[in-house]
Amino acid sequence: MTEGLRTEEFQVNMGPHHPSTHGVCRFILTMDGEVIVRAEPVIGYLHRSLEKICENRTYAQCIPVMDRFEYCTSMCCNEVFALAVEKLAGIEVPEYAEYLRVIMMELNRIASHMIWYGTTALDLGAITPFLYSFREREDILDMFEMTCGQRLTYNYIRIGGVSKDIPPEFIPKCKEFLATIDHKIDDYERMLTENPIFMVRNKGVGTLSPEMAIAYGVSGPSLRASGIKYDLRRDDPYSIYNRFKFDIPVCHNGDCYDRYIIRIKEMRESAKIVRQALEQLPNAEVNTGKMVKANFKPAKGEVYSRIENSRGEMGVYIQSTGDTKKPLRVKMRGGSYNQLQVMPELVKGVKIADVVAIMASLDIIMPEVDR
Amino acid sequence: MTFEELTTYLTEKFGDKLELLETGKFEPFFLIKKENLVEICEAVKTDDKLLIDFLCNIGAIDTGEKFEIVYNLASIKKNIRFDLKLVMEYEGAEVDSVQEVWPCSNWYEREMWELYGINIKNHDNLTRFLLPDEWDQGHPMLKNWDAPDFKRMPEVE
Amino acid sequence: MGIIKKVPVYAEKFPGGGIITTSLNYIFSQSQASSLWYLLFGTACCAIELMATGASRYDFDRFGMIFRASPRQSDLIIAAGTITKKMAPRLKLLHDQMAEPRYVIAMGGCTVGGGPFYYDSYAVEKGIDHIVPVDVYIPGCPPRPESLFEGCLKLQEKVKLQKIQDWS
Repeated sequence: MTEGLRTEEFQVNMGPHHPSTHGVCRFILTMDGEVIVRAEPVIGYLHRSLEKICENRTYAQCIPVMDRFEYCTSMCCNEVFALAVEKLAGIEVPEYAEYLRVIMMELNRIASHMIWYGTTALDLGAITPFLYSFREREDILDMFEMTCGQRLTYNYIRIGGVSKDIPPEFIPKCKEFLATIDHKIDDYERMLTENPIFMVRNKGVGTLSPEMAIAYGVSGPSLRASGIKYDLRRDDPYSIYNRFKFDIPVCHNGDCYDRYIIRIKEMRESAKIVRQALEQLPNAEVNTGKMVKANFKPAKGEVYSRIENSRGEMGVYIQSTGDTKKPLRVKMRGGSYNQLQVMPELVKGVKIADVVAIMASLDIIMPEVDR
Repeated sequence: MTFEELTTYLTEKFGDKLELLETGKFEPFFLIKKENLVEICEAVKTDDKLLIDFLCNIGAIDTGEKFEIVYNLASIKKNIRFDLKLVMEYEGAEVDSVQEVWPCSNWYEREMWELYGINIKNHDNLTRFLLPDEWDQGHPMLKNWDAPDFKRMPEVE
Repeated sequence: MGIIKKVPVYAEKFPGGGIITTSLNYIFSQSQASSLWYLLFGTACCAIELMATGASRYDFDRFGMIFRASPRQSDLIIAAGTITKKMAPRLKLLHDQMAEPRYVIAMGGCTVGGGPFYYDSYAVEKGIDHIVPVDVYIPGCPPRPESLFEGCLKLQEKVKLQKIQDWS
């Protein structure tokens, strides 16, 4: 009976306005029944030409632009740009400011993973986890707000240090947060880790082999879920990360479930780093660093600086001619760019509903792709 | 490997195909010729001491006089980082694709082709990428690019 | 509160009670203003703030605002985030697909007038008001949830003032 039937491939358009594409990504899916034959990402719906804007700004003015590069972890964006310019100009950052940077970046990493946790569950049809994780995220945002006055785009880490000292109520608030965060993450785990529906949707779905991950430049938690222990905080230490003790969680299957486990574990590790940083914070000398002026010109040179962001390696390449106060070229690199590039390989042969699960587990965010 | 070890090793291995640039402050930047690009990339990927398996980034630069292309390379297994650089004239700017070596270079090259107008040889998918489908205003990342609704930020002293 | 206080007064005047007289305009605009469902149209940073507004602490639901994924079911687009030239036709399409009466809130500096991308950007649409008609502008980069509330309350005021005859 089935021999006589003719089947035909057809195309399904997903996005650019689709709630689970985390922004404005579009996929053209070629389907054979419910199975995906080919997927072609169409990007550029959030291409805001940040690189062109940076070329026409002074170095200090570039920092707010970098905030918009990856708004879930703006602190890390600030850091990567500041780090590059400090390398070019040979600026020393005071120890106290370095500690504040690490505290802010790690808190920001937790906040970013909380967004990921909430939206992943939302994409898979569970609404409660979203409400839980955004509740704790607000506590982190409160701390940022009392420090720099913004909830999302901070402009806090500047070239040469940080913009201002933390207020006196920051440390008690942060300690209170750290005292409860482990229990809160236990709560998160209780909702999803052993949840049978969640496991069926994620286990064995979207398996990324280590070879393919490296070939496509996948980095960060998604790479570590494939069994490669590579974390720039340990392997290419920047700032003062070599002073802290923390584990680098690794899983070996490389499927969506492992990527979930990695990120949950990473939240705990980040909390560990913040605890140590608060203990070691030098109280004797409060020096947040000297900000650069508008007419600041670093020496001629070029540098590619990279840090470990919550979505993988975030890098920025800067070339300075030495005689202008504007960079000649700023090229940004975000982890999501490569994770989206590997998507067509991962979704081959899966059911259409799994595209959402795979995309959520890779934690793709569009401004990092489109810039 | 430290900066010096890496520089010596690479210079010995490739001889005059590489030229160390002074502009690189923290990681070595090497100037190469575009006809050697794919050969050098394959060599650094398979070399036992280097094993450059990870392509961080490719960026094109318009210096106002000519094009430059920078390849930021890293090795996960050996934990090495260095950069390669190409320089070429505006006229007939063209470069070989390295997607055979690192598949992730595909999108970086496509972006370069679209925003700078650098032609990529042996690339399998040179189509519209970041800009709108109906875009007809040229290559916007060029320094002298202009359009009617493009406003530059006024200089503030 | 007005209508609830008046209910017993009106209801008793009719035989058997249980009937209220009011103007059609009043009942339509009141009920519409208190159940504005918004289309989930988040493109950039403001989308995260829109999500935070919908989540636990700020609880958007108490204004009768519930997100919908389909333009057919929504009364309102909250355009949260930068609209680029590539995205602009899609915004127009989604707006056209919504049923009348429909409203647009421009959330954030980018949608109001280009915001931080006004200068030196070749890809950003400088303000969405030349693509779709905008009812309420909320400046900020991104606006706080409280500003979003204020904007929505302003829109509710506008909805309450409108007449059925104005619907086209």
